[in-house]
Amino acid sequence: MRKAVMVIGGGIAGIQASLDLANRGFKVHLVEKDPSIGGRMAQLDKTFPTMDCSICILAPKMIECAHNRNVQLLTYSEVKGVKGSIGNFKVKVLRKPRYVDERKCNGCGICAQNCPSEAPNEFDENLGMRKAIYMPFPQAVPRVMVIDKDNCIECGLCDKVCPADAVDREQQPEEVELDVGAITVATGFDMFDPSVIPQYGYGRLKNVITAMELERILCASGPTGGHLIRPSDGRIPRNIAFIQCIGSRDRREWINHPYCSSICCKYAVKDAVLIKEHEPNTVVAIFYIDLRAFGRGFQEFVNRAKSEFGIRFVRSSPGEISEDPSTSNLVVWFEDPTTRTVHHNSFDLVVLCPALIPRKGVGELAKILGIELDNYGFLKSADSVRKPLDTNVPGIFACGYCLGPKTGDVPDSITQGSGTAGRIAEVLVAREAS
Amino acid sequence: MHEVANTPRGRGVLTCIQCGRCTSSCPVARVVEEHNPRKLMEMIILGSRSDVLLGQLPWHCLSCFTCLDRCPQGGDVGETMFAIRNLAVREGNIPRGTLVQTQSLFDTGRVVTPSRMALINRQRYGLGKEPAVDVKDVQKILRKTCFSKLTSRGS
Amino acid sequence: MKYAFFLGCLIPAREPNYESSVRRIAPELGIDLVEMEGANCCAPFSIQSVDHMSWLALAARNLCVAEQMGLDIMTLCNDCYESLLMGNTILKEDKEIRDQVNEILADVGLEFEGKTEVKTFVDVLHKDIGLEKVKNAIRRPFNGLQVAIQPGCHLTRPKRIHFGEWMGVTALDELVEATGAESVAYERKESCCGGPLRGINDEVAQYVAKQKLDAIKAAAPDCIVTVCPFCYLELDMGQLEIKRHMQLKEEEYDLPVLHFAELLRMAMGMELEDWEIRAHRTPIARVLKMQEEQ
Repeated sequence: MRKAVMVIGGGIAGIQASLDLANRGFKVHLVEKDPSIGGRMAQLDKTFPTMDCSICILAPKMIECAHNRNVQLLTYSEVKGVKGSIGNFKVKVLRKPRYVDERKCNGCGICAQNCPSEAPNEFDENLGMRKAIYMPFPQAVPRVMVIDKDNCIECGLCDKVCPADAVDREQQPEEVELDVGAITVATGFDMFDPSVIPQYGYGRLKNVITAMELERILCASGPTGGHLIRPSDGRIPRNIAFIQCIGSRDRREWINHPYCSSICCKYAVKDAVLIKEHEPNTVVAIFYIDLRAFGRGFQEFVNRAKSEFGIRFVRSSPGEISEDPSTSNLVVWFEDPTTRTVHHNSFDLVVLCPALIPRKGVGELAKILGIELDNYGFLKSADSVRKPLDTNVPGIFACGYCLGPKTGDVPDSITQGSGTAGRIAEVLVAREAS
Repeated sequence: MHEVANTPRGRGVLTCIQCGRCTSSCPVARVVEEHNPRKLMEMIILGSRSDVLLGQLPWHCLSCFTCLDRCPQGGDVGETMFAIRNLAVREGNIPRGTLVQTQSLFDTGRVVTPSRMALINRQRYGLGKEPAVDVKDVQKILRKTCFSKLTSRGS
Repeated sequence: MKYAFFLGCLIPAREPNYESSVRRIAPELGIDLVEMEGANCCAPFSIQSVDHMSWLALAARNLCVAEQMGLDIMTLCNDCYESLLMGNTILKEDKEIRDQVNEILADVGLEFEGKTEVKTFVDVLHKDIGLEKVKNAIRRPFNGLQVAIQPGCHLTRPKRIHFGEWMGVTALDELVEATGAESVAYERKESCCGGPLRGINDEVAQYVAKQKLDAIKAAAPDCIVTVCPFCYLELDMGQLEIKRHMQLKEEEYDLPVLHFAELLRMAMGMELEDWEIRAHRTPIARVLKMQEEQ
């Protein structure tokens, strides 16, 4: 009987690792703390440089996870304790109550239509609202509603209208203990909160947003239905600035993210092109320190962005953003690198590209698993050159951005997911043989 | 470049990545076209010694430290300005106003002293005597650090 | 609470009204100001620009005087604050430099031991005395007075050795609001007034001051409040100089500038004397009228 394995984190890296292992005959427990798998990739509009619709290429893999007999999805669940060692880990997983019976709910959504209580939609980066009983996003897997008890007013309407009688307000958290031979961690990244640097105005100036918020705005299933409009007045922005390296490459002690986050230059160019495709008359400028467009297809993509789409690339890092209170337009002062003089331009919308940091909660998870972290809170590889996917604990591996700024794009996360699947299979099969 | 890097407060020139954030933030750069901290660092890196040390650019700096606080490399453009000015003074490049202050410092222990009227007013306003300075001690110190030589006063 | 009172050069020379208000407030708030006998110039930026060692040695001498008094230093001027605080930090952290400076100080019989702290007036009021005690001392608040605060560059920068934040509510905002006034937000509140170039390059100083005054004017406050004597000079006298040199008729600023100590003193129920009122180049009558009746 082949030993089961665990994957912690249901983003693209975790999903790929799960599928690879499942298809090799391992039983996989895929633990995800959000109510649905999908991770960051589900939030994106399009991926670079191919400009594929992100959820369109992710969803088939998500569905395969749901249907594959060897994959058990433990969504809305968290790892709370681990004992044992390679070959014999005993993992305690806490399953948080959805207050909806997973076996009965078919995701029809009638409950949400009737729910009177609203809360900010986390999947949409709090740009729009969702109901207290909600489907995390339209393509969620599992396709089950979840009740946010903090915002639920206990009116019982959802229960009354549910045709499948799936609402279970008495549901309790459930702790399960799972016996697994190996674990891989794939918890991904969060975005650094730019309000830590007050000069950029995030949180204070309405039309300063992060790149992830822009993705949700551009996405057809997002809070604006895919219409490119700006937060303060819903107008279509006629000129947009991207500002790179907000917190990345920053050695100041109180910020302390001296690394380059790898993917921001790429996604900024992608987003700029997307914007031009939506609104060809909108002017887009990207303010950068260095433009990091490495790898296959990216430099070509940048060249197209310049020549075909007329996107402005300005090699100057602005220090601050101010606002014209009458229009909510933003003023960006920068040094024009060609004339060496200081200018200011007005923009309708400013998009900040923040540093990418470890997911919240990873510190506690690492403690539970006994894994070492690096200076920035990312998981540390056992040997960053020769064993990049191993951690210091034999039998526990890691893949994707939780290991830190790698190339970081989707193919890279998939590669690493498959890599850990290979490592797990290798070590467990070797143990079986001995 | 290494000359500046080895001057106190000048190490920042070694880590400058020419991102331009300092110039984008500088209050003087917004009103004086020639004042450009990033360009100054560039000139140092390229070795334009006389342009840097004999020019006026470093003396337009307010030492407001806005650049220093925003520099992603941990900040030393603002500090480097001091190193450049120290070197510039040794080349004889020092604005008249600064020279006047240094001379006052050596003679009285203060960069600016109360006028006779101000001293009389102190008594009228009930502020007590002017706090006295130990001028001899100040002069001893300034002789030892060759400050006096730099500003051609004292022995 | 006792402090070694570091007055600096500029205040006794040009702004006795600042000193006078501080001396009157201090005993009411339990601040005991002890004169620093023989203290010299802090060595502001103009001197730091000439020679590094001279600065450190001069700053160290003042720090030694305070160490011998067994007290922490309280400064009024932001330049003095920066010079002494930075000097103190460098000397405490870097042994090699400390030894070099002590070798120089040996000539005058002093040794830097790193036993004192450098605080500014704002620090002392907000952290040591505490906002509550300041609020309790207010007798005649300035209800509704719209104040544009000029914190000055060196109250909060470099961030790595300072306590404050540049934007949002700072300790100084809280203190000003304790007097009943409202701290008005304006563009680039944390930026420089141009003061450091006064007397060295007046033209540039004026352009920078104008930028600052324009930003303040756009927020339409009743007055400006400063903590640094350079800022005070540059904004108070500076307004007139700008009007004269740049021949701006329509751009009449007419923004009264007050030292924070003066605002606090009045709010604590003490009236300014005639000479103190006249010490302001831009008339402050309008501010005085906005005070609550006794």
